[in-house]
Parts: sequence; structure tokens; C-alpha cells
Amino acid sequence: MTNKIKIERAIKNLTQEELAYKVKVSRQTINAMEANKYVPSTVLALKIARIFNKMVEEIFILEKND
Amino acid sequence: MPYTILLPNKFKKIGWIILVPAAILGIILIVNGFDAMPIKAKVFALYNDQILGKRESFTFINTNITNTIIGMLFIAGAVFVGFSREKKEDEFIANLRLSSLLWAVFVNYILLFLAFAFIYNMAFLVVMMYNMFTIMIIFIVRFNYILYRNSKSLEDDK
Repeated sequence: MTNKIKIERAIKNLTQEELAYKVKVSRQTINAMEANKYVPSTVLALKIARIFNKMVEEIFILEKND
Repeated sequence: MPYTILLPNKFKKIGWIILVPAAILGIILIVNGFDAMPIKAKVFALYNDQILGKRESFTFINTNITNTIIGMLFIAGAVFVGFSREKKEDEFIANLRLSSLLWAVFVNYILLFLAFAFIYNMAFLVVMMYNMFTIMIIFIVRFNYILYRNSKSLEDDK
């Protein structure tokens, strides 16, 4: 799975730290997701989508091997 | 979801303060033999089986408790360090902790398998002594190394 967190963050002009604070996780978690090293739980994916006012599918995208 | 069974974050620091000296003393003890630095004391024994001696249970015995103390301190320290909450405990950290635990058990048994195959007699006894602690050691090293590596990558990427 890949995601557009970094792009959405740039659009909203949020730092990793600010996004982390809004969804109550560590900055490491945001960083790991952006680097595609961590797949978030459904709860966290929903929270992130809500911050960006988008559907989950618009931010998190399945890849061929998923 | 953060796990509630973890100890509060401050135990991690306390853990390091106990673990490091206990590890150093433990290595000194293994190198110098178990009778180095004896501390004699009367302790309660659920079961005691002396080499070429009597077997007894539910009794008080006089014995050298240096390895008892160091072993217990090491375990307490390692549990505090390994099973305390991080400052910001979240699902990614919880995931990392579990995967490190799996990794540690896996690596530990590969090492033990090799030790069974290639190490014999009294030397194997030493392997067994180390093996009581290696799962926790590998777990702590791997978990903290990845945490450290991730915090490093945070610095380059703002």
C-alpha cells in the first residue's frame, strides 16, 4: 500500500509534527508511513483522512502486490 | 492501540540504571567463576539439590547469593527497559515492539540450535547460562536500534 500523506500535508501546509499531534501519534509514525515502512491501522487511516477532509481511498492506495 | 500491560515510561530509565551495572557484574562473575565475590546469606529455598549432597525443600539454607542477586537485578532491569511505555507510545511503536520480540525469539533459537550442534560438555553449560538472558538482550538491542534509526531519519527529513 502506498499513500499521499506527504502531498496532502504539503497542500494543508502541515509539518509531520503538527499532523502527528492532530491524530495523537508520534512523529516517527507519520515519518514511517510516508516512507511506506508502516501500514497504519484502520482507525489511524480514518483519522488522517478526516484531517485532510478526504475519503480514505483518496489518501491510501492499494498496490499490485497487495 | 497502545498496550495497557506495559509499565509507565519512567521505568525505562530506572531499568537502564539497574541493567547496565547488573550486566557488567554478570560478565565479571561468568569470567571469574561463580565463587568470586561471594556474598553468604541465609535464604528460603523452595527446592535445593546440592551436587553430591542432600535434596531438601521448603527450608532455609546458607548459600552464596551473588549470582542470585545479579541474575535478579538483570532480569528486573531488562524487563523494565523492554516493557516500559515509550514517551509517545502509539500503534507504530507497539508494532515495532512486537516485531522485535518475534525477531529476538527467532534469532535466539537459531543461535541455540547452532550451540546444540557445535558446543559440548561444560561449554554448553555456559551457553545455557547466557541463553537465560539472550532473548531479552536481543529484543532490547533490536527494538532500541530501530527506534534510534527512525529518530535519526527524522532529523534529515523535516
